[in-house]
Amino acid sequence: MRGWKHTILGTVAAAALAVTSSAAFSQAKPEKLVIMSHAVHKSAVTGEKGGDSSADWQKRNGVAVEWLTFGVEAVHERVYREASLASGTVDIAFILERYSGPQVARLFEDLGEYQKRDGIEDFEEISAGMRTAHTHKGKLIAIPFRHATHGLLYNQVYFTERGVAAPPKTMEALLELAEKMQYTRSDGTLVHGFITSFDDPSGVVDLMRAFGGDFITSDYRFVADSPGSLKVVHLLRNFFQKGILPKNVFTFKTEEVITMMQQGRAAMTNQPFGRYFNYNDAKQSKFPGEFKVTTIPASGGGIAPAKTSVWGMAIPANSKNKQLAWTLIKELSSKKATIAQAINGNGPVRISAYKDEGVRKLVPYADDEAAVLQGARSTVPGFENTQKAMDFFMEEIQQAMLGTKTPEQAMADLKKRVEPLLPK
Amino acid sequence: MWTLRPIHYLMVAPVHLLLLVFIFLPALYVGWLSLTHSTFGGPPEFVGLSNFVTLLGDRIFWRSFWNTLIVVNVVVYGELALGLGLALLMAGWVPFKRVVIAIILAPYAITEVTTVVMWRYMLEPDVGMINYALKSIGLGQIEYSTDPFTALMVVSVLAIWQHLPFTFLILYAAVTTIPSELIESAKVDGATPWQTFWHVTLRLILPAVFVALMFRYIFAMRIFSEVWLLTEGGPARMTEVLAVYLYRQAFRYHEFGGASATGWMLLLLSLVIALPYLRAMYVKLFRHV
Repeated sequence: MRGWKHTILGTVAAAALAVTSSAAFSQAKPEKLVIMSHAVHKSAVTGEKGGDSSADWQKRNGVAVEWLTFGVEAVHERVYREASLASGTVDIAFILERYSGPQVARLFEDLGEYQKRDGIEDFEEISAGMRTAHTHKGKLIAIPFRHATHGLLYNQVYFTERGVAAPPKTMEALLELAEKMQYTRSDGTLVHGFITSFDDPSGVVDLMRAFGGDFITSDYRFVADSPGSLKVVHLLRNFFQKGILPKNVFTFKTEEVITMMQQGRAAMTNQPFGRYFNYNDAKQSKFPGEFKVTTIPASGGGIAPAKTSVWGMAIPANSKNKQLAWTLIKELSSKKATIAQAINGNGPVRISAYKDEGVRKLVPYADDEAAVLQGARSTVPGFENTQKAMDFFMEEIQQAMLGTKTPEQAMADLKKRVEPLLPK
Repeated sequence: MWTLRPIHYLMVAPVHLLLLVFIFLPALYVGWLSLTHSTFGGPPEFVGLSNFVTLLGDRIFWRSFWNTLIVVNVVVYGELALGLGLALLMAGWVPFKRVVIAIILAPYAITEVTTVVMWRYMLEPDVGMINYALKSIGLGQIEYSTDPFTALMVVSVLAIWQHLPFTFLILYAAVTTIPSELIESAKVDGATPWQTFWHVTLRLILPAVFVALMFRYIFAMRIFSEVWLLTEGGPARMTEVLAVYLYRQAFRYHEFGGASATGWMLLLLSLVIALPYLRAMYVKLFRHV
């Protein structure tokens, strides 16, 4: 009887040991590392022009990389949902600073600790602003990977048709030009002088900042009722009523703006510099090679502090492969990888990438974008109620444009709704 | 008259088990969630009825509520009227009847996303064919992106266009089962076509009408894609419906307590609307059992 007991116990112990060692082995060496991101990150890492910047890492480690890609909103919802579970299957998550905030900090590893132990090459070169954008409650929850910074994109053919020699140097000139560029071409195409996305406040906030205004400052002050911001609300209302902005502009997401520009139905827009490639793509655009991009001018001249958004790579706290994930993040953040990704169309987070010959050859706007980056800021700083505050902003702006409220009333109402949401 | 024995209960048990596991328990969980402050990154915190109080004090919730009621009623009764008209028409002689029925059913085979994108392009103010045609003949434009009432009507038309086949099929099946002798008897007795419809046809298809009404009420109450893809609730959230309001709370603001409370309000609203029809159906179908 005793012998039987021993045999059973021994078998169970051996099985447990086998299972444990297999688990330990699989933790040390999984077959794949799972990345959840937007499709743009996958193409930046694995694109053909600059090459796959994860290929060497995969070969060295004998671990494949599996990409799960979703739309911007969906990727965050899924990442946070996965990261909230007791045990997760996502090893690296790409998150955008305005979807992040202190409320989700506990879902991710503090990468500052990883950096201290096994640092990324020349980490200080990655802009401090971008790192701060992903630092919450003292934790660096994501390593900046990509920025999308706004520039002024315009159709050179239309500029020529309207006798405009160069892009505007001041915001005042840009607004005058927007009116001038509102015309019907000889082929019957109605051209709108200026369009912008109404998907979120970024398009409008660019204009506010050009006049010294803003929506919410980086120290969480509501300033959308400042003179510079109010001026823009009046201006948008005026542009909407004059038809310079299309009648259906409230339904404009990024995709609608891209389509309008590619079809030649609008002359200018403020969008990320990288759209230059979409607009000049012969397969998609009616004006390939005719689109140019420059900096958004500030009122009175100079460069406006345009919007930038920063995607970062985070490690969910429930990942089973944290150390391995960190080694891949290190690899993807190296100078060499940043250049390869920039050639694949990524907005590089290292200034040195803009000096690379390969990047400069493919990215004609490198100097302009690098210049804008010095003063660029997130649309709004990340906090628990960012999305709600942005929705309120768009709602009140639209009320003012429709004429159901005066700009002053709309911004006063916005203040009442947004201030209670801001971190104290 | 037969009595219910244990075997009968056993036979219906699987379906009740499914309902319990997939509908009732999740509904209870959502009910509990509605009493908490819950978001990513932390355990739910009990807040009592606070989410419901916040909801009832939110003017956008009430706007969404009224918008939902308007759209649902326009859609359900619009569909019923059209579906019934088409069912009666198809029950008579119609050239190429099979082809015509196929045309009526076709929109049901198109996904909602495709439908909305298609209509949205047709209604585009500069180049959309509908708006272009209307403008060419001096009738102005359908400005769904700036006029909330127009937007809600466009949403209703889209929903009717797409879901009409459901109502039509139920009513057509009911109309075709009416014995022709009954109609002929009514005619012999001197009934006018309207009297025949009112006193014979409608009475006989009433259970089917109730089924169509109830199902469409329940489905229409959840209307989301049409609004989200056409206007996203804009301009200025003036065309938001309850499902869009719930979506924002859950998936944009990550406020699961508030979203759950909205879900329960939606459920209560559906029940209030469905109860008279359920009662009428019960009386009509089971009162003799």
